[in-house]
Amino acid sequence: MQQTPVLQLKNIKKTIKGKEIIKHIDLTLYPSQIFGFLGPNGAGKTTTIRMIVGLIRPTEGSVTICGHSVSRDFVKAMSNVGCIIESPDMYKYLTGMENLLQYAAMNKTIGRQRVHDVVEMVGLQHRINDKISTYSLGMRQRLGIAQALLSRPKLLILDEPTNGLDPAGITEFRNLIRRLAYEEGMTVFVSSHLLLEIEEICDTVSIIKQGTVIKTGAVQELLHEDKIEWQLNDPQKAIALLDEHWNIKAVQLKKNTVSARLGEPSLAEINELLIKEGLELTYCSSKQNTLEDLFLGLTEGDQIV
Amino acid sequence: MLKKTIWYSVFTVAIAGIVVLAGGFYQALKVTTESSPYQPAKVIMAQTSGSSTEAELKNTNSLQLLILGDSIAKGTGDEKGKGFSTDLPQAIKTDTPKDILVTDAGINGLESQGLLAQLQNGSLNKPLAGANFILISIGGNDLRTILSLNPQAQEDEFKIKQDSYLSNLKQVLTILRSSNPNAYIVFLGLYNPYEKTTTEEEVSLWQEWNYNTEQLIESNPKAICIPSDDLMKFNLGKYLAPDGLHPNSAGYLALSDRIRKSLGGVIAGM
Amino acid sequence: MYSLIENEVTKMIAKKRLMFVLAILVILISVFAYGQNRTLARTKAQLTQRMGITATTDWHKLAEQQLIDMKGRLDSPYMDAKSQSSLTVKMQQLQYDLDNNINPLDQSAAKFTATFMEQSIFLFLPLLIVILAADMVSGESSSGTIKLLLVRNIPRWKILLSKYLALIILEVVVIFCAFLLSALISGFFFGFGGWMAPVATGFRVLAGKLDASGVFNVPEWQFSLMVYSLAFFVAVVVGSISFMISVLVKSTAASIGIILATLIAGNFISFFLSDWTLTHYLFMVNLRLTDYLSGAVQPVDGMNMLFSVTVLIVWALVSTIVSFVYFTKKDILV
Repeated sequence: MQQTPVLQLKNIKKTIKGKEIIKHIDLTLYPSQIFGFLGPNGAGKTTTIRMIVGLIRPTEGSVTICGHSVSRDFVKAMSNVGCIIESPDMYKYLTGMENLLQYAAMNKTIGRQRVHDVVEMVGLQHRINDKISTYSLGMRQRLGIAQALLSRPKLLILDEPTNGLDPAGITEFRNLIRRLAYEEGMTVFVSSHLLLEIEEICDTVSIIKQGTVIKTGAVQELLHEDKIEWQLNDPQKAIALLDEHWNIKAVQLKKNTVSARLGEPSLAEINELLIKEGLELTYCSSKQNTLEDLFLGLTEGDQIV
Repeated sequence: MLKKTIWYSVFTVAIAGIVVLAGGFYQALKVTTESSPYQPAKVIMAQTSGSSTEAELKNTNSLQLLILGDSIAKGTGDEKGKGFSTDLPQAIKTDTPKDILVTDAGINGLESQGLLAQLQNGSLNKPLAGANFILISIGGNDLRTILSLNPQAQEDEFKIKQDSYLSNLKQVLTILRSSNPNAYIVFLGLYNPYEKTTTEEEVSLWQEWNYNTEQLIESNPKAICIPSDDLMKFNLGKYLAPDGLHPNSAGYLALSDRIRKSLGGVIAGM
Repeated sequence: MYSLIENEVTKMIAKKRLMFVLAILVILISVFAYGQNRTLARTKAQLTQRMGITATTDWHKLAEQQLIDMKGRLDSPYMDAKSQSSLTVKMQQLQYDLDNNINPLDQSAAKFTATFMEQSIFLFLPLLIVILAADMVSGESSSGTIKLLLVRNIPRWKILLSKYLALIILEVVVIFCAFLLSALISGFFFGFGGWMAPVATGFRVLAGKLDASGVFNVPEWQFSLMVYSLAFFVAVVVGSISFMISVLVKSTAASIGIILATLIAGNFISFFLSDWTLTHYLFMVNLRLTDYLSGAVQPVDGMNMLFSVTVLIVWALVSTIVSFVYFTKKDILV
């Protein structure tokens, strides 16, 4: 691709107190993209994010944001970033508005109008003049996003953004993220241990385990490899048919359940054939749990480091 | 808006404050490190010591009086600024046609230890050698330090103080006698200025003090201990200065008169 | 930079830290002033009783007599040359009191204001500054807000510098308020005057001895100004050290604890180990700068104003450098 990457991590390593927290990470993100960073707790997601925003220094490797190295050109690099890290920590003794004004004052390009716009974007206009100490986790999360958006960043980094949001809030949040990415051309970096989250909004996903990225790809592509489960009356026949026609190795899970990973052929094609062969297909589940399976399969047997 | 206002006032105060405080800091450094702009005049001392050297040009037509000791010797409390150094010669003058030359070496707050040191350093050798009379007032400051103590500590401290006082006084007398065997020594006894607040125990301690002093002084044939308490006790209102400790002008006059009477016999023969 | 400092000051004010410090000041000054008032009344009563005369109302006579007396001493041939200037200074003070009809026993707002800071400079003032400074960085660390502060497009040293300058601004405010409050509150007890009254200064420590030969009088306002300037200097030094601890330690409670322990230990050390030369280089034993000014100093060989100020400057500089180096390099893991 000819575009300058918004974010580029090259061979990142981080050792803290003799412990290798991050072993090897390479990442490249382009504009107008929603990227999911998926991993179990303790896999190194937050550490990676801290290195991206310069809170900690990588032991090895380089982080570049919009062509500026974070370690060498911190100010220029950080001009393009907005982020929340871990929890949305705000000054509890200030109001929401005062918190935002604090951050707005740190960047000359942010005017008062922008502050009000951002408050509206996250839907906090009614409570913005209340002290943070009265806010719920969800409201603080919204304020966190607001503060990250203030400087119209090219790269928006959100660490566990839906923590504490109610279902309506989550939907709102997702719409906001999509709008930012596809209408305003932002690149959104979402880290989460929740699959549903990633599956729902992300275009690309990286799965991280014990400090190493073990899989990266478009969400759609990853899903193609995923397992399908059929409930039917004659599992043995189904297995034989799948093997015969598409060379798919299927396994019988329960009495009436067959499971297989799909490659090229579409699910519709397979189902049509199974029914044609006289099998009684009672239920077929596919996508819903597939990323979870992939994730669990990939991270199987891991202990949290 | 209120917060903006607070910020502006804080900022203004801070900027103005830093300027002022920096100035003050510079001044403070200057004051404590540089030599001061005021040089004390040391001339006074040279002058007066000159006049006292004049005094020991042995003039057979004059009597020499040396006053030693504490603030009472110095004349503190006399609202006319006279004290013994003026009153006593005037009193004596009625008994003798000769001139009276006075050297007053009294020092405020002097204790017996200080008096001894003053004599030992030799600065008084000349007036001492030529003196016909030596008036001493000492011990009040030694004794006064025990006043603030509680009764128990008072008694212990009294013994310590009295011992060192008596030993100092003894040495003082020895020095006086060795440089001037003939002068008449007049020791002024202590009076009690704190009549109203003194406890019985304190009174007895103070009497013991006076008694021991008297014994020591009177053992010397040409020395006399003149009590002052009998004169002062019922006349404190009349004879005491506003500071409640020293005699006032009338007090010094009365004391001088008493000393004159005691010395009358020897002065007439001089 | 200006708006960064404004941010920091705004936070400190919103956090009520400054109000807290000012409230402590108000309470303590009131208590002190009340106590002084009581002591004064008692001293007067005692004097009256002891002397049997009304020395407190009849002070004119007493002062006049003392003046004559001191004049006599000044003329004495046996007067120690060194005590002459202190005697002259005392006479000037007494003369001023007489001329202006001020009972020398009485307190005045001006006297109280200076005395209050002289008494506060080595423990109470540092304590107030610690309350402000110990929280400046560690407070943000423990609440996690430091993360959002450091991911702005502003280099770390600028963030820290803004905090440091905000601290200095607050120190000025504390000194200013301490002055204003003690002048006002004590004014209600003792009257608001006394600013022109002469105060002795110009003492020096020479060869381990207090030298009063260069003593002279300055008006009380100027003396107070010098006292408060030295207090401000002490505030900046203690502030810098607390600031460093605040950078090094994540929890506010721990950083307050460390500095308080150090300050109190300093007072012990100056009691027990004063002949151990190494202790002269500790910052805690050098805080009583105003004592050099008023001559209340316990002379220790080798310690004088210049020495103490230099030691304190070195401490402040080293602390500040350590703060900046550590802060710009450290990994933020909270």
